[in-house]
Amino acid sequence: MYEAGSWPIRLQQIIDEFSGVDDSMERIEMLFEYAREIDELPMSEWCDDTKVHGCQSEAHVLPMQNDDGTFHLMGASDAKLVQGLMAITAIALEGLAPSEVAIFSSDYASEMGLMNALTPSRANGFRNMFRKVVQAAQEMGE
Amino acid sequence: MTFTPEQARRDIPILNRVLPNGRNLVYLDNAATTQKPQQVISAISNYYETTNSNVHRAVHTLAGEATDAYEGARSKIAEWFGIGDGYLIFTAGTTEAINLAAYAWGRHNLVAGDVVVLTEMEHHSDIVPWQMLAQEREIEIRWVPLQVETSSLDMEVFAASMEGAKLVGCIHTSNVLGVRNPVEEVIRLAHSAGARVILDAAQAAPHDRLNIAESGADMVAVSAHKMCGPTGIGALMVNAETFAEMQPFIGGGDMIREVFLDHSTYQEGVHRFEAGTPKIAEAIGWGAAIDWLAQWDIAEIHSHALGLARHTAAGLREIEGMRVFGDHGDGDGAVVSFIHDKLHSEDMAHMLDAHGIAVRTGHHCAQPLLRKLGLTSTNRVSFYLYNTMAEADFFLATVRDLVARFT
Repeated sequence: MYEAGSWPIRLQQIIDEFSGVDDSMERIEMLFEYAREIDELPMSEWCDDTKVHGCQSEAHVLPMQNDDGTFHLMGASDAKLVQGLMAITAIALEGLAPSEVAIFSSDYASEMGLMNALTPSRANGFRNMFRKVVQAAQEMGE
Repeated sequence: MTFTPEQARRDIPILNRVLPNGRNLVYLDNAATTQKPQQVISAISNYYETTNSNVHRAVHTLAGEATDAYEGARSKIAEWFGIGDGYLIFTAGTTEAINLAAYAWGRHNLVAGDVVVLTEMEHHSDIVPWQMLAQEREIEIRWVPLQVETSSLDMEVFAASMEGAKLVGCIHTSNVLGVRNPVEEVIRLAHSAGARVILDAAQAAPHDRLNIAESGADMVAVSAHKMCGPTGIGALMVNAETFAEMQPFIGGGDMIREVFLDHSTYQEGVHRFEAGTPKIAEAIGWGAAIDWLAQWDIAEIHSHALGLARHTAAGLREIEGMRVFGDHGDGDGAVVSFIHDKLHSEDMAHMLDAHGIAVRTGHHCAQPLLRKLGLTSTNRVSFYLYNTMAEADFFLATVRDLVARFT
């Protein structure tokens, strides 16, 4: 199971990268950079099924499987910070088996120091996004 | 005393706060709630340290002192707003005040087929209670449109909507646009059609003593926390005619005179609308806030805050891609809503917070208004007496920097 102390290598690198930065503006800039790395879900595909509820911004995710059956996440938001967090989630989960995603811990966001930087409504939005992704992975395995 | 923001700042401890990121607090979210002077904080803690007791019933010393302090606060607040203290009902805030109006007045005076006129500028608090009543009673709600170009209500439609109206609900000063509506004209239109008027004055009260009796408004709702008072208290102020048409809404506790197994009788006066142990410490704190504000001329306070809003709006308009709302005329609120076409409002607010600047983001509990503007969210800065030109300039410089860096 992927959880604190045993994250995928790429995620652990991102956690270390964020943990080493105290300046909040620098962290925001980093999230803006990550926002570009997601396989962006075009706005034309945003719909009720993709929408993450509980976000002040429009946030959409489309969990899917690569040809080899491993997990892949497309997503987008009109708020860059949200999309950045989504992108890190996508990187963390990329290439895992859906059964691994289904039991993935969401603690990485707090470990990166992002959860306490978020307003409660945004933290709630992150949890809703993560739950939606995990649920989709569970359904892939069924 | 001649007003200066520096004098006001000296009394407000939280303005010295250094945030966890090491930044000094620049608090520009006053339309959401204002900060509290030491005088208000001390009034509340002194009450609990020396006087705490339930009011009205017991005959012991503390009960007498607490009752005097509570009722004294009511008189002071009523006098401030220019209405008799027999017509100021304490509520939890503006939202509860409007709900009280809907239940205590609306349920006993509106029947199926009656018309309630509201505006597209309303806060949800002045929409939802009437929608709930409308669903229950088959009441018709008519909407006065917002004219986006001029940030004003369409007064021709307002006049044309009055036929058959029993109640008009209007926001005195918009919490999103800062616009002060022509409430004198609204009251005149409503009264000539035989309708009662309720004003949501949550944003107006911090800047204007309202002169309620003189204004002719039938019901006025306000919140203490937007004028340096505590949270959890506000008031519905009503004129004598409307008061006579109201029936108790919440039963029990302080509002009863006698209870029998088959029926109950109620207190006379405002107490019949204040069931349960009232908001004693909060009322005393609100009274202290009025005393504190009364050191200065409220017109000077308003002019100072509005000056900061005008300066800020003008500065924001110089930034490419920025849309700024409202024109900040003389009576308008010190509120500036804005949105950048490339920086999402939430990202903007988050980055301003990283600089210690507190602004509001979102739909401001006025979704119909935002929808009319074609938006789901704006950023909003709002000023009050303790804000300074240096803060407004720091905010503008920060926004300019963020736009340059992230777009």
